[in-house]
Amino acid sequence: MQQRERGVIRLAAVLSVCIGALAVLGQQADPASKPLPAATASNGELTIGAVIAQTGNANLYGQDQRMGIAIAQQWSLSQKPERPLRVQLEDGGSDEATAISAFNLLINQGVLALLGPTLSQQAFAADPIAQRRGVPVVAPSNTAKGIPQIGFFISRVSAQSSVIAPLSISEALRRDPQIQRVAVFYSQDDAFSTSETAIFQRTLRARGLTPVTVQRTQLADNDFQIPITAALQQKPDLVVISIQAVGGGNLVRQLRELGYQGQIVVGNGMNTPSIYPICQRWCDGILIAQAYSPELSTPINRTFQELLRRRNPDQPPSQITAQAFAAYQVVFESVQRLQRRGGLTGVTLEQARKALMKELLGGSYDTPLGPIQFTPDGEVIQGRFYVAEVRMDANGRNGRFAMVRNTGAEEKAP
Amino acid sequence: MIETILQTLLNGAAIGGVYALVALGYTLVFSVLGVINFALGALFSLGGYLTYLLMGGRISANGGLPGWGIPFELPFPVALLLGAALTGGASLIVERLAFSPLRKRRAEPLLYLITSLGAGLVLVNLLQMLMGAEGYAFPANALAALPDAILIMGARIRSVQVLLLGVCAVTVIVLTLWLERSRQGHALKAVAEDPTTAQLLGINSEAMLRVSFLISGFLAGLGGGLIGVSISLPGPYVGIGYGLKGLAVLVLGGLGSIPGAIAGGLLMGLAEALVPSQLSGWRDALAFAILFGVLLLRPTGLLGRRMVEKV
Repeated sequence: MQQRERGVIRLAAVLSVCIGALAVLGQQADPASKPLPAATASNGELTIGAVIAQTGNANLYGQDQRMGIAIAQQWSLSQKPERPLRVQLEDGGSDEATAISAFNLLINQGVLALLGPTLSQQAFAADPIAQRRGVPVVAPSNTAKGIPQIGFFISRVSAQSSVIAPLSISEALRRDPQIQRVAVFYSQDDAFSTSETAIFQRTLRARGLTPVTVQRTQLADNDFQIPITAALQQKPDLVVISIQAVGGGNLVRQLRELGYQGQIVVGNGMNTPSIYPICQRWCDGILIAQAYSPELSTPINRTFQELLRRRNPDQPPSQITAQAFAAYQVVFESVQRLQRRGGLTGVTLEQARKALMKELLGGSYDTPLGPIQFTPDGEVIQGRFYVAEVRMDANGRNGRFAMVRNTGAEEKAP
Repeated sequence: MIETILQTLLNGAAIGGVYALVALGYTLVFSVLGVINFALGALFSLGGYLTYLLMGGRISANGGLPGWGIPFELPFPVALLLGAALTGGASLIVERLAFSPLRKRRAEPLLYLITSLGAGLVLVNLLQMLMGAEGYAFPANALAALPDAILIMGARIRSVQVLLLGVCAVTVIVLTLWLERSRQGHALKAVAEDPTTAQLLGINSEAMLRVSFLISGFLAGLGGGLIGVSISLPGPYVGIGYGLKGLAVLVLGGLGSIPGAIAGGLLMGLAEALVPSQLSGWRDALAFAILFGVLLLRPTGLLGRRMVEKV
């Protein structure tokens, strides 16, 4: 054998041994195999992770979500928990790579469960990692089709767009049954927006309306003059938008500035008060279907709003904040039930994660969104949805989602 | 039909005007120093935020100083000019920190790229720490004196687009007149032509270099303020995209050519505007394909001159 070949073989052998050693060490270091701290240890606190957008465009949603989780923690302490939860917050950014990195970091640090990520697009990339590692994920704001179906460990408290989105179209048609010409806008490089627009368009077709124009934009677009010009040539009497908050806010503003006076239906991406400063007085009158109503009169919703008011009197309660609260609440209540039944005693982290997921899926929860449960594959079951109209104040800087319709789950997509 | 064409042309010209401003910023520094200032995109963002703050805008709850704002509100035109002037000042600081030390050591041009890129990243991150990552919109009354849109030959155009185009055109004309007619403009051109000879003729090359950075920053800041009032500020990275487009326009027009930067900016803007909305996902790709095509036919760019290597 040539000396060079022998060298290569030696090198390969050394590398194999190194990789094997790393794999063994890695397995030993995997916190999943370690025992779960006992309830009596220090304060018996368990850590969950939250992967929330703190940078990039999705930070608009992220800041509402952080608030929701913070007040949920405050609420949970008032429940005198046997097992308090500590939340380790990690920036999920607004892209897939940052969300994946945050998931990996928190899972390797041994969190019991994860809340997040903020965007559906990120969930499709990051959730499979949690599924492979057996870590329960509760998504507060992912509404694209197919997310809980990623696997057993993936669930969400945010109802699927296909359930909610058609309601706002129904409301627009109820207000003006003469609507014939519909223009559709959506971000073609965003999983959530493409998923939602498919639902909107299916609903329109079911109502006998074929969009007269479909304008595709990019997630990073903020100047929509060109697609608006093209759309307005078709003289639409309804515009349906599936674009995230900043871009969507700019689109609404530019549509109005360019003279469009018809109804505007927007999707869940714009379901945040953060759109108010972007489209300002031009936001007035846009219709949006919601999974949350500040007007729902239940003790937990009143508590939620009171805690929110105490923290930030200027922040109106929003769906995204309420869903983030509900996501934490679901994990918190499942952990307490499991603890009471002894399911968290003498088990490894891996066993605790699996038990928690089973417990979570089997429970019923009275949340600010109303009563919710889960299907066996982690999809939320929610009874009541709403259609809101944005009403801006005279100064055009602040507004509110005014409820105009309250519908039961029976009124679903056709 | 005519309205549509006019609307499309005006849309393209307005955005092309902003690209031209950024490209002119690159051109001025490139002409004098022979290097690209990669911090220009970050200065563009800075200009947008400064204009916002000068108009009485407040820092959001996620910023480094939540709720903070300056204790007065300036009208948009004043805020825009002052914001651009302050950005020009920031550009001088970038010159002092990222360019001057290397120039004194006669460093390789590649090193300037790295230090200016670093300075740009630091600036964007400082903006993010101070202002937070969320979008900021200028007050609704920023252009209260103007209607939402105006009709030009039947085409409905947002007033802000017309303003954008007008400000860009005036800026380019003023800059060109200054370069062609003023003593300092001639001095700057002389330094750009040959700094050693200019120095022998009694021109302070160092001072002219600083003037080029000051104007370059001013132009970027102006672009940032204009884009801010047109489409809001989506985040601290808003200027990076415009910086990259400006760089492409610089190459398209011809390195160091001021008329080339203007022509390149307009061409790039129009190319984007003419992409059918069904192909909007290909807008950037088509714009850069034009750049590629032009460079294949004219490697020096539209109006660039062939560089002569002196030995």
